[in-house]
Amino acid sequence: MNWKVLAVGALLIIPLVWVLAMGFGKDPRALPNVLEGKQAPGFALQTMDGDRTVDLAELRGKPVVVNFYSSWCVPCAQEHPWLVKVAPAYQARGVTFLGVIYNDEPVKVKAFLRRYGEAYPTLIDPAQRTAMDYGVAGVPETFLIDAEGRIARKFTGPVVPDQFLAALEALL
Amino acid sequence: MISLLGRAAILVALAACSVGAVAGLYGGWKGSAEAARWSRIMAWAFFGAVTVATGLMEYALLTHDFSVHYVSQVGSLDSPVWVSIVSLWSSLEGSILFWAFILGVYAAGQAWWTRDRFPAHSSWAMGMTLVIGVFFTFLVAGIANPFGLVDPAPANGPGPNPLLQNHILMVVHPPTLYLGYVGMTVPFAMGAAALLAGNINPAWSRALRNAMMVPWGFLTAGILLGGWWSYDVLGWGGYWAWDPVENASLLPWLTATAFLHSAMLMERKEQLKGWTLTLLMGSFLLTILGTFMTRSGVFNSVHSFTQSEIGPIFLGFLAVGLVFTVVLLAARIDKLAPPTEGLAGPVTRDVAFLAQNLVFTAITFTVLLGTVWPLLNEAISGERISVGEPYFNQWAVPLGFLLVFLMGVGPALPWGRPSASAMVTRAGLPALFTVLVVGLLLALDIRAPWPLAVFGASAFALWVTIGEMLAPGLARWRSTGGSLPIALWQASLKARRRQAGYIVHLGVILVAVGIAASSGWRHVHELTMIKNETTSVGRYTLTFLGSEAVQESHRTASVARFHVSAGSNELGTLEPRMNNYPRMGSPLPAPAVYSGPREDLYLSLVQVDPRTDLVSLQAVIQPMVWWIWFGGAVMAFGTVLAAWPARKGRPA
Repeated sequence: MNWKVLAVGALLIIPLVWVLAMGFGKDPRALPNVLEGKQAPGFALQTMDGDRTVDLAELRGKPVVVNFYSSWCVPCAQEHPWLVKVAPAYQARGVTFLGVIYNDEPVKVKAFLRRYGEAYPTLIDPAQRTAMDYGVAGVPETFLIDAEGRIARKFTGPVVPDQFLAALEALL
Repeated sequence: MISLLGRAAILVALAACSVGAVAGLYGGWKGSAEAARWSRIMAWAFFGAVTVATGLMEYALLTHDFSVHYVSQVGSLDSPVWVSIVSLWSSLEGSILFWAFILGVYAAGQAWWTRDRFPAHSSWAMGMTLVIGVFFTFLVAGIANPFGLVDPAPANGPGPNPLLQNHILMVVHPPTLYLGYVGMTVPFAMGAAALLAGNINPAWSRALRNAMMVPWGFLTAGILLGGWWSYDVLGWGGYWAWDPVENASLLPWLTATAFLHSAMLMERKEQLKGWTLTLLMGSFLLTILGTFMTRSGVFNSVHSFTQSEIGPIFLGFLAVGLVFTVVLLAARIDKLAPPTEGLAGPVTRDVAFLAQNLVFTAITFTVLLGTVWPLLNEAISGERISVGEPYFNQWAVPLGFLLVFLMGVGPALPWGRPSASAMVTRAGLPALFTVLVVGLLLALDIRAPWPLAVFGASAFALWVTIGEMLAPGLARWRSTGGSLPIALWQASLKARRRQAGYIVHLGVILVAVGIAASSGWRHVHELTMIKNETTSVGRYTLTFLGSEAVQESHRTASVARFHVSAGSNELGTLEPRMNNYPRMGSPLPAPAVYSGPREDLYLSLVQVDPRTDLVSLQAVIQPMVWWIWFGGAVMAFGTVLAAWPARKGRPA
């Protein structure tokens, strides 16, 4: 018996089988959201036009929708016109809609907004600090923040219209 | 009725397999020719029974016999005939039955091939193949039984997964891959036989390499067809996404390729026996890992079957296989005869082989680690992360370059110790050619470092490979005179396996160039067009002619038509579409591609509504994608040439 071969083999097999066995009973498609139900990370960001700073803390008391997006992302272009369409009705009911640029240049984003419509301010996120705080893994991601400043719901990828509206109505 | 007959056939197959496995192992252990003969007869019986079972299932699918459980799950009266046929492998139970059938084909082939040779090993090997057959037939007989009776039978079924109905390549890609996966069983069994028998002679080494050539060829073709399918169906304009299941098919391919090379050292010098057998047996175990990945529901992938009971059983089988292999290697590795000849170094072909093996192993570990990392991370920290393309590309690009580089350098090096002057003559011209090619590319303002490096290494490898292929013929022509083409042809016939190997290398070079070019200069354009609008994309002019709704038996679709021209060249009409399947919530895009050796124009719809005159689409322009598929065909041709049995009376 060659003990070296046996030891190296055991070193490879045991962790591999253990890791695979741990995977059972978990849904690989469900990305857990550790943030849901927690206090939303604060931010104070400049709007793209540079005319004012939006501070999340000042928006307490009413729901807030934060949409991370960029001009180079196809699903963003797919969801954006729909968001622009539904935003005004909810803004009238006190909801604040905010876009946050993810990894993009304001010039390109402006062209994007000219093309797909603009109904709410877009904020500049220097060095992606806010995106990191929110654990954004890719765009688009959309966060619904309730009146107490907690993250009520997160959408990864383009928002699903029915679910988005239902979740937003629940906050009003 | 079919339920009953099918189940009976499977039970017969299980019995034949079990008896044959015991007979084969006993025959190996006791050296009994009679027991070995019985194991071969049982292998034939196993083949016959699974063929009947599979035939019955196809019959049930084609006649829409919804009283059969599997047909009630994947059959549909609306499916075209070809969709009904491929439904066999569209879902879990059918795919395992199909697996058992292919294993039956291989077992019968092995029984025939080894019937009158390799007396020391063939019985062990037959027994091992049938042991694995027992496992798969057991699955079909029990937990993954496709022949269950549905009473009362439903009037119609839902049809198979829409992704599988979306393209004709689904007829070819899965069976090819299965032929590769399942075929690994035979070399695994033969490797185990070498260890069980405690010796491995050059004849058995050669047999091992030949046995691996067949599944390796199918696996290569299957992976490339999968890339082609993904490119033609999924609509994102790529052919490889480092999806867990793509990785699962790549892993055994990597170790099998490494094996095919180190086996040459084993055959020639009886070197690296333990390592070579590890690669060989590891390749099979990685196919089981890959199957586990698709069938267990543990990994997130386009390929995943639904979460099922079968996962833990597969994991158990994998664990048993791993432990068996390691214990067997540990017990017998010191018994194998020592090398007849030492490895030469440092600048020799031996060392190039070792380096090649090292690089392949490094890629295998990188890909394996990246694939299981999300599971590992979750097991440790409870958080699920995903490992994306950047990780894989970061490693695969430099390691892939190294492989192309070694593919050029290896054959340029002599087997023995080279003299400095011999090196200059062997490597001088290819090096000059490389400098010329790279210089030309730089002059054309191509500056991307990795593609440039791959092109340079490919140029070197191309020259060396063609030089190596011509060398024997040229030598013959110089010594005997006469016609050059005839000398080349005759010398090639004499060294068929060698020439075939180099043809495979030529294919790899083409694939490498295609991958480097298409990933290096990929341009994505997003367009929104109104009817009759004309726009230009790259060197093409697109005119949107309009869209229409189409009703087909198993789906509805929106088809957009584009007229395409390049300069004054009319290239015709491209018709990308959006297919809607009743079982699927969101529509599936079916891209349209204008493909050629220079570049591909790839149109994939993002949004289309025939009621309006608007269409949104992605137009992707990628150079030289075509060369990947063409290189794949060259590789397949080379493999067939290498694996083709030699005429009787002449050694293979």
